[in-house]
Amino acid sequence: MRILLAEDDLLLGDGLRAGLRQLGFLVDWVRDGDAAERELRGQPYAAAVLDLGLPLKDGMEVLSSARRAGVTLPVLVLTARDAVPDRVRGLDVGADDYVVKPVDLNELAARLRALVRRAHGQPQECLSAHGVSLDPAARTVTLAGKPVTLSAREFDLLHALMLNAGRIMSREQIEQHLYSWGQEVDSNAVEVHIHHLRRKLGGALIQTVRGVGYMLASLQPGAR
Amino acid sequence: MRIAHSIQGRLLGLVLGLVVGIWFVTAMLAWVDVRHELDELLDSHLAQAAALLVVQQAREVEDGDPGLDAPTLHRYAPKVAFQVFHEGRLAMRSSNAPVMPMIDLGARATQGFADVEIAATRWRVFAAHGRERDVQVFVGEQLESRGSILRAVLRSALGPLLLAVPLLALTVWWSVRQGVSPLRRLGITLAERRPQDLQSIAVDGMPAEMKPMLDALNGLFSRIAQLMDSERRFTADAAHELRTPIAGIRAQAQVALAATADAERTHALQSTLQGCDRATRLIEQLLTLARLEAGISPEFSAVDLASMARKVIADLAPLAFAKQQVVGLDAVAPSEVEGDETLLSVMVRNLVDNAIRYSPDGASVVVRIEREGDSIILRVEDSGPGMVATDVARLGQRFFRVVGSGQRGSGLGWSIVLRVAAVHGADVQARAMEAPRTGMVVEARFASR
Repeated sequence: MRILLAEDDLLLGDGLRAGLRQLGFLVDWVRDGDAAERELRGQPYAAAVLDLGLPLKDGMEVLSSARRAGVTLPVLVLTARDAVPDRVRGLDVGADDYVVKPVDLNELAARLRALVRRAHGQPQECLSAHGVSLDPAARTVTLAGKPVTLSAREFDLLHALMLNAGRIMSREQIEQHLYSWGQEVDSNAVEVHIHHLRRKLGGALIQTVRGVGYMLASLQPGAR
Repeated sequence: MRIAHSIQGRLLGLVLGLVVGIWFVTAMLAWVDVRHELDELLDSHLAQAAALLVVQQAREVEDGDPGLDAPTLHRYAPKVAFQVFHEGRLAMRSSNAPVMPMIDLGARATQGFADVEIAATRWRVFAAHGRERDVQVFVGEQLESRGSILRAVLRSALGPLLLAVPLLALTVWWSVRQGVSPLRRLGITLAERRPQDLQSIAVDGMPAEMKPMLDALNGLFSRIAQLMDSERRFTADAAHELRTPIAGIRAQAQVALAATADAERTHALQSTLQGCDRATRLIEQLLTLARLEAGISPEFSAVDLASMARKVIADLAPLAFAKQQVVGLDAVAPSEVEGDETLLSVMVRNLVDNAIRYSPDGASVVVRIEREGDSIILRVEDSGPGMVATDVARLGQRFFRVVGSGQRGSGLGWSIVLRVAAVHGADVQARAMEAPRTGMVVEARFASR
């Protein structure tokens, strides 16, 4: 899951980026309001973590102008401003969650996963289709109840396809989901990952729409 | 003795005292005048009566009973007495007159007034004689009766006044009370205020005398409101600023716990330590500022700026070495100023620390101490990127940071520097170096000892 992190504090930004990466997120980190707004409008992130006290442009302004521009991705506001009026204003401007510093990394990750899940209309944490079950929190996948070992990229690809079940995802969209800034992307990387997934989980799960992209057919809420 | 500090009481006392005093003086003057006029009038009556008796005696010298008394025709008559002597013998007298002459003449006849005492009573006597000096007349009047006439006159004049004084006191008290009622109302208004209420008091409709006081009071209210506002903002900002490093420390510590690679763990742990250092520095600055603003009284003595700066630079040198920076001191001797050594060293430490932090690796930081006339100037110069004028103007705004400085300061350092400078009456200015040099100069100007 690719996340935008907007935080001007070097120490905290570095810690959040490292921590969220450990928990399986792809993190792009910006340090000022202008960059945050540019990224929010331009890139297909699953969610954003936004500090309010950003230089150049206040986080609240970034959020409201992004919302006015039609950006719908879930935004978690992470701030030191704990007064109730600040929280209310943040949520009213368009934040999906409001967390006061300091925050536990696991809680932050869980909140982000919940935001992403809700944004895709999924009421449950576990995703399931064709006997394949995916637990985003534990980062585990089972096929017919038996655990399957996937690489991090394969997991992220499956997660993205399951979240967008019934919709075709282009190769570019998938790449943007799988790679953060500065990561080399081989021209056939997506095809290779798809190939591995089909080998491990069966060929019927992912359909290829030639010249357009890939799609995961249907999805039922699955049990763990 | 303590004087009652009540305007109402003082006004009442003053007005009543003055009125009664003036009345009293007027009454005294009237007393003197009335007594004089009364004496003149009664003396003239005595003289007149004496003259009549002399004329009468001169006309008819008869050998009747010398004790024959004149009839008592008026209740005041016993207070008036007369004697007529003819050739040394008593020819006639009033019944209340003694037999002996009222004034002891010896052989000579006399004429004029005298105050004598006869049988324990004081008399005013007029003596007169005929042209041949064979008739001697005395007409006397009890002095006591004059006193009672005077007292009666004064009684009628002062009596109503005694009645008027309480009445006057009451009306003056009421008027004064009315006059000071705006003051009393103001007192009630102020007493009923909640401590947090720092609204201005309406000046309209208040007496002109109270306006300066109200204006001063309103000025005080607005200053206190500003102070409280800045305190509130400071607390909020400080909480905000402390949360971020703590959030960083927490995140880094969690990363270290979950790290699988050694390099990752080491980096996270080092970052955790950095976060602790930053939080420590922030807390120290907050405490320093809080102490400065609590108005602790500085202990002034002779401080040698050069040796103090040397110590500060020695303390901070490791920080500069870590960034391959050159630090140095360029001082003239002597550089003694009057000041609090601890506070001054806090100030210089903040300036040098800032210069090191905000200058890039390999920069130079120099402290110069110079004498200029009666002043000693301490300059901290760096060869960093400098600051644009708008940012310089915002220095000292708490928690203001220069964007892109890469260092996250709290902005508290400059507040501390300004506060210490203010305590020492020193003038502090920051400006960018003039081209072609880059960097900042901070200049503190002290009066030399």
